[in-house]
Amino acid sequence: MPGRKAGDDVGMTSDIALLTEDLTKFYGQRRGIEGLNLEVRAGEVMGFLGPNGAGKTTTIRLLLDFLRPSRGHATVLGLDPRRDKAALHRQIGYLPGELVFPGRDKADDLLHFFAAARGGVAWSQVTELAERLDLDLSRSVRTMSKGNKQKVGLVQAFMHRPAVLVLDEPTSGLDPLMQQEFLAMVRDASGAGQTVFMSSHVLAEVQQAADRVAIVRDGQLAAVERVESLGKRAVRAVEIHFDDPVDPTEFNVLPGVSDVVVSGPVLKCTVDGRIDPLIKAAARHEVVDMLSAEPDLEETFLSFYYHGEGAGDASRAGA
Amino acid sequence: MLPALVRKTWRDDRLALFGWAGGVAAFTAIYTSFYSQFQGAAELKQDALPQGMLDFLGIADMLSPAGYLQATIFSLVGPLLVLMCAITLTARTIARPEEDGGMELMLANPVSRAAFAWQRVASAGSALTAIAAIPGILLMIIVPWIGMDIPLSNVAAASAGLVALVWSFAGVAFLVGAATGKRAAVLAITGGLAVAAYMANAIGGMLDGWHWVRWLSPFHYFIGTDPLHTGWHPVELLALVLLGAATTTAGVIVFDRRDIGV
Repeated sequence: MPGRKAGDDVGMTSDIALLTEDLTKFYGQRRGIEGLNLEVRAGEVMGFLGPNGAGKTTTIRLLLDFLRPSRGHATVLGLDPRRDKAALHRQIGYLPGELVFPGRDKADDLLHFFAAARGGVAWSQVTELAERLDLDLSRSVRTMSKGNKQKVGLVQAFMHRPAVLVLDEPTSGLDPLMQQEFLAMVRDASGAGQTVFMSSHVLAEVQQAADRVAIVRDGQLAAVERVESLGKRAVRAVEIHFDDPVDPTEFNVLPGVSDVVVSGPVLKCTVDGRIDPLIKAAARHEVVDMLSAEPDLEETFLSFYYHGEGAGDASRAGA
Repeated sequence: MLPALVRKTWRDDRLALFGWAGGVAAFTAIYTSFYSQFQGAAELKQDALPQGMLDFLGIADMLSPAGYLQATIFSLVGPLLVLMCAITLTARTIARPEEDGGMELMLANPVSRAAFAWQRVASAGSALTAIAAIPGILLMIIVPWIGMDIPLSNVAAASAGLVALVWSFAGVAFLVGAATGKRAAVLAITGGLAVAAYMANAIGGMLDGWHWVRWLSPFHYFIGTDPLHTGWHPVELLALVLLGAATTTAGVIVFDRRDIGV
């Protein structure tokens, strides 16, 4: 993918943009996020995935110093979100999940305010972003549709070219064309060395833009994966048509193969991980046709991290 | 150059600010201009009301210029207007944007929590000061113009008291908003306190053995010294200013320590 950093797990650990150690937030008895240990490297795009209520927004609001941790701590660009708030926020672009703009300004005036509050931003950067997102700046933000408000939110997050972009559900409200444009903006930002930390419950957008994904569930980190390996581990549905009927026992002993159903010469199964063992076994017979559905992150997501509770939300999300 | 947030706050509140300023100005101008026509009627009105009611309303006599200004501008409706203005505008500094969510993007700018709170309170406070000063400024013009026989220095003292009264209650309103982030709490608690303070001053002046209650009431420090007759009382004014400063500072400290928008 363009803009993707080549560096893998080695050699970049000294350059951490965002770090949380045992980051925990309880609201009274209710758990927001618990024991979160996460590292995002400079220049990396990290997707932060999980169903609604998993603790994504709580984590983001802790990073922005709207919330104070019950335990543990976070650092952004090596700075403390609370103590160094003023200096840090100059280098953060933030898009809230619940986007509400202060006042009744036209988009133009509102963005002038953000520009001034951030110590001056070249106006060409604003108009460039607005053009890219096809946004009319002369309209009042209060009367805008959700999608257009989201565009204003994106413009204010990207306009000062911050070192770190923290985006909470950035594509919500955007139509598919604009979602693609947004993902291109993320890739450009990453290419320019900016770090992107974006939450989502939509796997597709993360798959397209992120280097790694952190998955949270019920307030706890379930996994951190490279997007590619998430793909490799994908569960796929495979259907093989043979010339003659086959024996299911020959296939359901294969590693990673399950749900084997044989009806005459047609074998249906799901494959978890490498497909090679199945291919080798099938090759002993005369194969007429073979269908393999694209690895679907949605299914991967479900099969590895959900199983039951929370699955409803995730399965709705990408649809 | 003023901080962007201060200019933004004024711009967002401009309709309310101009509305309140216009209302307070109209109220002052209309009441005061009626002074000469009112002279005959005042006697009737004063005779019609029992003394206890007059005391409660803070009306000493409506015949003298000082008594008239006291009865109209400085005793009930005037303070009520500017305090309503102070409480609702101060609720906009933190509580309202926190509730509606608009505060997040303002706080996401490179400014510390404390600086944010100070800038918000400075914007609202300066606007409130200007609005609370309107009666005084207009009286400086109207009193000599219609020939009311009262020293301008006394009018200035009472007007300064009105500003100081606004500061004290704006401070309380700010503290409640900074601590709770709830607009309803600001309106209910500060409004309730204002009513209680008014009652304490009024009742404390009427009932034997309850005089001490007045000392708890900001209204006493504002008007209990009878500035329209006796002029400046710097210690009492200072007490109001200190109340406002202390509550505002406490508000900033509390706001700096808590979670936002929970």
